[in-house]
Amino acid sequence: MIKKNRHSKHRTRGVITAVFVLLIFFTVLLPGPTFAVEGETLDEILNSFDDKKSGASADTMQDVLEGFDDEQKDAGKITTEDDIPECFDDDTQEIEPESRKDENKPSIFSLSGDIQLGTSYNYAHHKPEEGETDRRGLSRLRTELNLELNAKFSSSRQARISGKGAYDSAYAIKGRDEFTDDVLDHYEKEFELGETYIQGSLTNRLDIKFGRQVVVWGKSDNIRVTDVLNPLDMREPGITDIEDLRLPLTMTRLDYYIGDWSLAGIAVHEIRFNKNPEYGSDFYPVSIAPPHEDKPGSDFDNTEYAVSINGIFSKWDISFYWADYYNDASHLQLVLSGLPPGIERRHARLQMLGTAFNVATGNWLLKTEAAWIEGFKFFSSPGKQYSRTDILAGLEYSGFTDTTLSIEAVNRHVNGFDEALKLAPDSAQQNEFQWTARASRNYLNDTLTLTLLVSTFGGIGEDGAYQRFSADYDITDFIQISTGVVLYSSGDLAVFKNIEDNDRLFFNIKYSF
Amino acid sequence: MKDKRTLFFIPILIVTAIVGFSVAPAFADDPKARVIMEKVDARDDGDNQTSDMEMILIDKKGKKRIRKIHAFSKDKGEDILRLMFFQHPADVRDTAFLTFDYDDPDKDDDQWLFLPALKKTKRIASTDKSGSFMGSDLTYSDMTSRNLEDYDYTFYEKAKEKEVNGVKTWVIWSTPRSKEVVEETGYEKSLLFVRQDNFFVIRALHWVRDGGYKKYMDIKKLDLIDGIWVATEMHVTKKKGKNTAHKTILKLNNVKFNQGLVFDMFTVRRMEKGF
Repeated sequence: MIKKNRHSKHRTRGVITAVFVLLIFFTVLLPGPTFAVEGETLDEILNSFDDKKSGASADTMQDVLEGFDDEQKDAGKITTEDDIPECFDDDTQEIEPESRKDENKPSIFSLSGDIQLGTSYNYAHHKPEEGETDRRGLSRLRTELNLELNAKFSSSRQARISGKGAYDSAYAIKGRDEFTDDVLDHYEKEFELGETYIQGSLTNRLDIKFGRQVVVWGKSDNIRVTDVLNPLDMREPGITDIEDLRLPLTMTRLDYYIGDWSLAGIAVHEIRFNKNPEYGSDFYPVSIAPPHEDKPGSDFDNTEYAVSINGIFSKWDISFYWADYYNDASHLQLVLSGLPPGIERRHARLQMLGTAFNVATGNWLLKTEAAWIEGFKFFSSPGKQYSRTDILAGLEYSGFTDTTLSIEAVNRHVNGFDEALKLAPDSAQQNEFQWTARASRNYLNDTLTLTLLVSTFGGIGEDGAYQRFSADYDITDFIQISTGVVLYSSGDLAVFKNIEDNDRLFFNIKYSF
Repeated sequence: MKDKRTLFFIPILIVTAIVGFSVAPAFADDPKARVIMEKVDARDDGDNQTSDMEMILIDKKGKKRIRKIHAFSKDKGEDILRLMFFQHPADVRDTAFLTFDYDDPDKDDDQWLFLPALKKTKRIASTDKSGSFMGSDLTYSDMTSRNLEDYDYTFYEKAKEKEVNGVKTWVIWSTPRSKEVVEETGYEKSLLFVRQDNFFVIRALHWVRDGGYKKYMDIKKLDLIDGIWVATEMHVTKKKGKNTAHKTILKLNNVKFNQGLVFDMFTVRRMEKGF
């Protein structure tokens, strides 16, 4: 009861916070319409083309606008009235921009990347009991280097090698003894090969891409329905968008194009699953270690297969998907082959048939997705497989200047649901409802972006929720900072158990090159 | 049977709606000004064009940011297909923007944005083109062609002609005929300076709908390339009163026409593969 009240309090606080931020967003920050001053003479108007005459905050603009007057005087660059007859004279040579003459051929290879420092600060945790990990304060201080080497052999052939290395010094600062080996192994240091592939065209209509890559399916931006191929990094949920969390897989992909349609055939050679919160982390839902995970190997017999058909038309797009793949989420299974019998985490093989459709009308974008997925397994119903029907609808509105608003909702319905599935450890629901709302607006000539994201499971968050309010600011072309707050509400879903104290502030600074 | 009061109020509501939600033209359309604008619209702007675009964005404190774009465009009948690849800064490199700019005023443009960091092509549904283009003082509406039928054109009442930098121009008001056009472009009205010799708009002053800004667009360099007039340098200054709020210097380099671009160039496939 106390716990329930606490959840309710967090949900209320979250909703109030979201509403408050929305009010600020739309009342204070959105400029209201104003009207220009009338009655200026043409000469006054013309004078304003000349900044030096305008007296426009000369102290700050002087350096910037240095030479503005010179350019005005350099009328030779503008074809003057005297030049007019020549310009229309057949014998007149065309004026060519100087830069046309020195076209530099770019190098085949280009190296780019970024180095970033990110930190999270937990402010809602209480003082721990004796022997418990102190989760207050600093929870992440991660330095990350991302490198990407691209080779462009021609307009149709290219290759990429990318990777990242990261070190989180928060564990050394707080004391490594405070954390489990699972946490230290998966969070403290990380080296990973990113997108690494070769890509080319076999014919005018047939492309091939082999290597580690990301394939995005579906039309939704915040919820996954048909986007089933690449796993996600879910270790610190809510901090960044789903879009930023996809992990690449080794695949062979063939794309065939004909008119407005394309057909893609994909073989996934690398079997890899979501990076979930590890035992001992503040997002791990319970205090006991998980059972052994039986991961299928990346061998030929386990190859995943996928096919998509995409049509792109004026105002609307449609896609059809089929995939035969492993479930990124595991289920528990009783293993009787040894003594004593044990429990393992296993990944079911699933088959998905889906479609996605969107249509643009005016400032509105309507998004829909539907999927029928067969092959789910549950601990409480051994030997039986279940299917699920997922249906998503979403709306995006771009009618306010520099602003995007979107809302998406999905219902995941387990077909032939058995009441036993509600019991732990499955804790499944016949209908799992999720909705997200997102507001994003650019300010200061796109240097500042404010984003509010609300992601809620269950109608009012009874299954769990989080809200994120973030700001991204470009200090220069190369340096960007991001900061914000994430508020969590615990709920009935396993991933949202006991996370209401994980509210955190985050800050990230990135240098791109 | 309908309530009599309802029947009485319906015409009033209709009249109120028409008066309240439409922008009445400030001036009647002047056929002579319209003829000039028709010549502006009919001026050959080339086909199968490639160019390198550089935008220098300068804020009121003098801080500069640079955007570099490789751009392609091709006519398809009266429609224009445009594809832009962003090259600089590093965090937007290889982002691509594809636009089908339809001549039919009743047909909204098709737009797609490829975000390489997300590995995703996203359809953009927005008739509101008043948003900043890549953080510059240009809007998306400045990057697309305008429909003459959406505007009334009249000569500036105090001076029909004006010499600008030694060149004779006509000075013409461009007034949106509907609130929808104002919302779409973000401009309440514009004063255009049209060169009399080649029908090129070399200066434009836009009254911005939001924020009380005025936007001064000034062609600084106009070149004849392959027989086509091209503004290869333009300064766009956004001011509030006499104070400059932000400025954009737009330069076009390596402008080439008749490059034999194929329609397959203007596809999502090409966006995702880069140029």
